[in-house]
Amino acid sequence: MTLFTNIIDIISEHGIAFLKASWMTISITAISLLFAMIIGFIFSSFKISSNKILNRIADLYIGIIRGTPLIVQIMFLYYGIANFVTLSSFTAGALALGIHTGAYIAEIIRGAVQSIDRGQLEAARSLGMPKSLAMRRIIFPQAYKRAIPPLGNQFIISLKDSSLVAYISVTDLYNTALTVQGENFMPFETYFVVGLYYLIIVLIFTFITNKVEKKLDVSKPKEALPA
Amino acid sequence: MIEIRQLSKSFGSLQVLKNIDLTIKQQEVVVLIGSSGSGKSTLLRCLNFLETANGGEIIIDSELINSDKTNLNKVREKVGMVFQHFNLFPHKTVLENIIEAPIYVKREKKEHAILKAQKLLQKVGLRDKANFYPEQLSGGQKQRVAIARALAMEPQVMLFDEPTSALDPELVGEVLQVMKELAREGMTMVIVTHEMGFAKEVADRVIMLADGYIIEENHPNELFSNPQHERTQRFLNQVL
Ligand SMILES: Nc1ncnc2c1ncn2[C@@H]1O[C@H](COP(=O)(O)OP(=O)(O)OP(=O)(O)O)[C@@H](O)[C@H]1O
Ligand SMILES: [Mg+2]
Repeated sequence: MTLFTNIIDIISEHGIAFLKASWMTISITAISLLFAMIIGFIFSSFKISSNKILNRIADLYIGIIRGTPLIVQIMFLYYGIANFVTLSSFTAGALALGIHTGAYIAEIIRGAVQSIDRGQLEAARSLGMPKSLAMRRIIFPQAYKRAIPPLGNQFIISLKDSSLVAYISVTDLYNTALTVQGENFMPFETYFVVGLYYLIIVLIFTFITNKVEKKLDVSKPKEALPA
Repeated sequence: MIEIRQLSKSFGSLQVLKNIDLTIKQQEVVVLIGSSGSGKSTLLRCLNFLETANGGEIIIDSELINSDKTNLNKVREKVGMVFQHFNLFPHKTVLENIIEAPIYVKREKKEHAILKAQKLLQKVGLRDKANFYPEQLSGGQKQRVAIARALAMEPQVMLFDEPTSALDPELVGEVLQVMKELAREGMTMVIVTHEMGFAKEVADRVIMLADGYIIEENHPNELFSNPQHERTQRFLNQVL
């Protein structure tokens, strides 16, 4: 019973602080994802391109990012390069998360584009469409629908991964939990509460992506209009 | 209309086309036959540069097409292609499929493109399907839309790669009917097909490919009743 009252106590005492921290978690994730999407688009087009040099650049980037831990990337951007450029902890965190997630998003977009039947591009090209036009008008509109489920999944991973920015003293959810726990010495209850906050954010996000997915369902065509 | 000289094409170490010489005249209907893997599709795909030949020359409309220098997109506008698996754009309606390239490639006015598309749909007997999505159509209807889509670019030649092979038998006729109509109107056509009855009726010339060579070509009546090459005889025995 004390467990339960302790949890209630933590929420009533620190609920607002956790809410503010949630906002920090959401904003650093959102900004990093915006950045990651841009990087993802650029590097996926490098990978799809027939230019060997661009392919190599994309492979190098994706290889390095996937081959090193996110925490190392965060530390590197905050402390590692501090002698050359000093970034605020928020900027360094958002940047590191964005660069990290961008590599995975590049692979997701590439996978979605390459899952579109080759015949689609051939049909478009045979009608005289230049490759860029064919990609824009024919391939991407089909590919982005396929990219949404794995992108949603990646966004959730990023939201949870953002907890690592606590180690460069961004006052996000996880950092707040560390502080609260250091004061009350109730790790069970405190981590339980912070877990709950993360879970609720993820559930809300999942609800939204499911709605979007349904709305864009490729397998169900829009109602055919009478001619 | 089309002149092919010493065309060759390899995939890695596999040489699929070996020094093909072929001239296709304006308004001529040429049917390509040959067993699976003989290079029929590859030859067609070289003609609108979906594949790049390794050697030889292709002259279309008295212009030597050099894939480095010529704007291939402009050439492809002149050469329509119909695929075995239709390749309609699934996210676009029938009408949108047809007006896409005229609007975005030829820069036609939308109203004009729509009017033309409606005429083409009338021609292929699908006037009432303009606002349907491809997956709401039967195979035969899809292929007729694909033909209308290619025609909307007002090509000078139409290439067909086994346009009826993916269709249920009862749907083959409606597609062949549209193609016969096109032939009658004087469209220059190169057709890969196993429909020998259709070839006999429509083709001006039938060409037999084997091992990357043209081993025999003749008027269909001649070639079907009196094949010279024993590979042709064997092939015809299998398909007839
Ligand atoms: N992109 C490719 N890469 C490698 N080999 C290929 C490629 N395209 C075709 N080939 C090979 O080239 C040969 C000729 O293929 P092609 O598709 O032109 O034959 P086809 O006469 O059209 O046969 P089918 O009647 O089965 O359609 C085959 O051996 C095929 O495996
Ligand atoms: Mg073929």
